[in-house]
Amino acid sequence: MKVLTYNPELCTGARECEKVCAQTWFKVPDREHSSIRIFEQEGKFRAEFCIQCGECIKVCPTNALYYDKQGIVRVKKDLCVGCMSCVGFCPYGVMYYEPQQTLAFKCISCGQCVKACPSGALKIIEVETVSTDLWQGKVGF
Amino acid sequence: MITVNKRDQIPWEEGMTVARLLERMNYTYPHLIVAINGAVVPHDAYAEWPVQDGDDVRVIHMIAGG
Amino acid sequence: MKAVTRNVLAEFDYTVPTIERGYTNQTLYVNVGNGEIKAKPVTEEMKLKFTGGKGFDLWLLWHAVKDTTRWHDPENEIVISTGPCGGITQYPGSGKSLVTTISPTTDIVTDCNTGGHFGPYLKFAGWDAIELQGIAERDVVVVVDAIRGKVTIEEMPEAPKDTHLLGAWLTEVLAEKPEDRYYIATVTSGQAAEHSLLGVLNFSLFDRKRNDLRYKQAARGGPGTVFRHKRILALVVRSRPFDGKTNNPADLARLARVGADMQREVAKWDPVQNRMRNRGTPYLVGIMSDYDLLPVHNHKFGGHPKAHAINGAYWESRFTQDLPDGCWYGCTVACAHAVDGFELKTGPYKGQKVIVDGPEYETAAGVGTNCGIFDGDAILEINFYCDTYGIDTISYGATVAFLMECYEAGILDKEKTEGLELRFGNAEASLELLHRIAAGTPFGKIAGMGVHKLKAYLIEHYGADAQFVHDIGMENKGMEYSMYIAKESLAQQGGYALTNKGPQHDEAWLIFMDQVNNQIPTFEDKAEALHYFPLFRTWFGLCGFCKLPWNDVVDPKNALSDEPHKIPHHVQNYVDIFSAVTGREITKEDIIHMSERVYNFQRVFNIRLGKGLREHDMPPYRALGPVTEEEYLSRQERYDKQLREWLGLDPSTMTLQEKMAAHRKYRYERYEMLMDAVYERRGWTRNGVPTLEKLQELGIDYPEVVEVVKKHL
Repeated sequence: MKVLTYNPELCTGARECEKVCAQTWFKVPDREHSSIRIFEQEGKFRAEFCIQCGECIKVCPTNALYYDKQGIVRVKKDLCVGCMSCVGFCPYGVMYYEPQQTLAFKCISCGQCVKACPSGALKIIEVETVSTDLWQGKVGF
Repeated sequence: MITVNKRDQIPWEEGMTVARLLERMNYTYPHLIVAINGAVVPHDAYAEWPVQDGDDVRVIHMIAGG
Repeated sequence: MKAVTRNVLAEFDYTVPTIERGYTNQTLYVNVGNGEIKAKPVTEEMKLKFTGGKGFDLWLLWHAVKDTTRWHDPENEIVISTGPCGGITQYPGSGKSLVTTISPTTDIVTDCNTGGHFGPYLKFAGWDAIELQGIAERDVVVVVDAIRGKVTIEEMPEAPKDTHLLGAWLTEVLAEKPEDRYYIATVTSGQAAEHSLLGVLNFSLFDRKRNDLRYKQAARGGPGTVFRHKRILALVVRSRPFDGKTNNPADLARLARVGADMQREVAKWDPVQNRMRNRGTPYLVGIMSDYDLLPVHNHKFGGHPKAHAINGAYWESRFTQDLPDGCWYGCTVACAHAVDGFELKTGPYKGQKVIVDGPEYETAAGVGTNCGIFDGDAILEINFYCDTYGIDTISYGATVAFLMECYEAGILDKEKTEGLELRFGNAEASLELLHRIAAGTPFGKIAGMGVHKLKAYLIEHYGADAQFVHDIGMENKGMEYSMYIAKESLAQQGGYALTNKGPQHDEAWLIFMDQVNNQIPTFEDKAEALHYFPLFRTWFGLCGFCKLPWNDVVDPKNALSDEPHKIPHHVQNYVDIFSAVTGREITKEDIIHMSERVYNFQRVFNIRLGKGLREHDMPPYRALGPVTEEEYLSRQERYDKQLREWLGLDPSTMTLQEKMAAHRKYRYERYEMLMDAVYERRGWTRNGVPTLEKLQELGIDYPEVVEVVKKHL
C-alpha cells in the first residue's frame, strides 16, 4: 500500500499540511476539510490520517469504497450517499465527512502535504502492512 | 435474603457474587444494568463483585423490542 | 432491459418536483378500476396535524372510504407513505414505509411498518404518498417512473406471480442499464394472497453487495390480500440516484453531527450488546425461552429445552457475515440478514437455491417454536415460501399453531385436514399446508382465513366447544397475536389488546420493563406506560424511522440518565433530526403531541368502522392466564403462590378446577381495572371513546370525527 507516514519528533506544528490538504480537495483552507489533523498537547505534536487499513470497505452499502491499484482506499464520489457508516466504523476515526456535500473523505496519499511541510515530518512510502506506527515516526524515518 | 427488583426474594449464599446471582435468576440477557443499594456495578466486575445478605439489587434489562 | 408485452391502460405525465425539507407536497392517486390517475396537494394542515407516513395514510384513507366500507369494496384503498425523514441517509433506520388499508381479518384499519426502498424512492420520484383504489378487471402493474415522468397502469401478461420471481422480472424489464436496478423498488405479493386473508406485501431492496434483490414485509392485517383482490400484481417505482441531500434538509450540519455520533455508538456497542449486525432480531429466541416468554405450542408455554438449538449464535452461523445488511442506506444496526444459497426441499421451487430473508425473531417464534418446530432448515423453508407466496409469517404461525392444538384436542382429524397430520412439531405438515394455501385447495382456503374466522368455522361445522376455541384462539379484534407470552405481564396484556389495529407489539413492548425489571408496579405506572410508549413508538411511523436504533444499541452511560428506559440521548437525537430535516423546531414533548393526534384519529376511525370500543379490547383467556390443566400444572408453584399472595386463598384446600377458576376471575378483573386506568389516562371514556375535550385539545375535532364519537358519548 502507498501510505502517508509522519514523524512527531520533526513536526513543528506549522499545520501547513492541514491548509494545503483542505485547499487542494475543498478549495478552502480550514482544518475541518483536511484529511490530516494535527493535535497539540503540552508543546508536543501528533497527527492522525488514514492508514489505508481497508476496514471501511465492507460497511459501505453502495460499494463506494475500494482499494485502487496502488493500495489506496478511495471514495467513489458518485456512489457515496453520505450515510457515514464508514465515519462511524473507522477504527481510527480518520474517515471525515463534508455535511453540505454529504460526502465522506479521507487521506488518499496524494503527497501535497509532504511538499508543503516545512520540517520534513511527512513522507509517502510503500508498505506491505499498516498500523498506527505510521503516526509515530516508526516507519520510514 | 436478597431482594431483586423490589419484588423477588432470593436466599443469600455464602460468597455470592453478582455473576452468581444472575445465574440463579437465569438472567442471560447480555445487556443489563446491575445496581446494589443504588450504586451501579461495572459490567466487567460481575464475576468478583460481592452481594451481601439483605442487599437491595436492581437488575434492569435494557431491552425494548421492535 | 427485457422486452415483454406491456399494454398501457392509463397514463399520467408529471414533472418531478424538488423535495422541500422532506416533503414533495403532493400525493399520488391511482384508481386501477377506472384508470383515473391524479396529483393531490399536501396542505400545511396535513403536515401540522398528521406529519406524514402513517398520519398521511390514515387521513387519505379516511376520506376515501364510507362508514360501511369493507376490505373488498372498490373504495377501500392501500395507502403507502414514508414520512418527512424517510430517505435521509445520515442516521440508522431512516427509510421505512408505512402502509394502511381496511383489513380482511379485522374489518378496521390495519397499519404496517416495513423496510425496503419503496417509500423513499416514491418520495424521490415526487410523491409523499400513493393511494391505490378500485378493482381492476385483470391483473395490472402500476409503474411510477421518475425518469420518464410518467405513472402508468399496465397489463404485463407474462409476469410471474410469486415475489422472488416477480421482483427480479420487473427489475429486468424496467432497468435500462445495470445501475438502474439500484433505484428500482417493487411492492409485490404472491399466490397465497389470492386464497388467504393473511396476505402480505413484499417491499424490495436491491442489495449491491449480493447484486440481487431482497425483501422486507408489510405484514400485519392482510394488505397483500387487498392488493391481489384489487388485481394489482405489482407496484413499482423507478427512481434516480440520490444522497443525503435529496430531501433538502434545513440543516445538514446538524444532521451530520447527530448521525456521526450514532454511527460511532453503533460501531462501539453493538458487538458487545445484541450483535444485531451479526445475528439480527433472532438473537431473542434463546433469551426469551430463558425468561419463559417464548411462545411454544400456541402460547401454552414460555420456553422449551430445544429453544437454544435455534438461538442467536445458531442464526449467526447461518447468516452470511460481514455484509452491510441495512434495509435502507445508512442503517448500521443492519439487522436484515439472509441465508444465501439455501436449497428448497419442497414445493414448486424445489431444488432452487435461494436467498432467504430471515428469519426475524417473529418468524422463528411464529412458524417455529409456537408450532413446536425447532429445526432451522424447516423454519427457513417456511419463511421463504411465506414470503414468496405472500403470506404473513406471524399470522401464518399463529394460525397453524391454533390448528395444531385443535387437531391434538380432537376437533380436527385427517379427514377434515385433507390428510395433513397437524400436530405440534410436524414441520412437513405445516409446509404442505402452506403449499395448499398457495394452490387454493379447499382446506387451504379454510386454513387461510386466519384464527378469527376459523374459530367460527370450527364451532359451526365441527361442533367445536365455543368456550375452548375462544380461549385458545390467539387473536384480538380479528388479528393474530405476535410472539411474546404476556400471561405474567399485565402491562403487556394491555400492550397487546389496548391497541388500535390489533395485538402487534409495535405499540408497546413492556414485558421486560414490567415482568422482569418491575419498573411499573402500580396500575397508574402501567397506565402511564400504556399512554407514553404507544405514542412515542407511533411517532417513528409518522416520520419514516425504524424504532430498533432507538433501543437495540445503547451507550451504557444511558443508565446514569433520568428515565433510562426512555433512552433520553436517542430521543434528543430524533428531536434534532426532525428539526434539522423539516426546519420545524420541535421538543420531545411535541413528539407525544404529534403522535397523540394520529393515534386518537385512528381510534375514532376504528369506531367509525364498527370496532374501537371497550368490548373489542378484551383478550382471549390464553393471553391472560392458563386455559388448560396442562398449562396450570406446568407452572403450578408459581400459580399456587399467586393464589396465596394475591387472593389470600389456600391452594392446598382447592381442586385444580377451583384454582383455575379463581385465577381466571382475578386475571380478568385485574385486566378490566387496567383498562379503566388506561382509558382515563388517554382521555377516553370508560367505553374507550376519545372525549370531545380530548379531540378539541388535539385539534382533530373535525365535524366528521365529532359525528362518529358523538353517538357514543
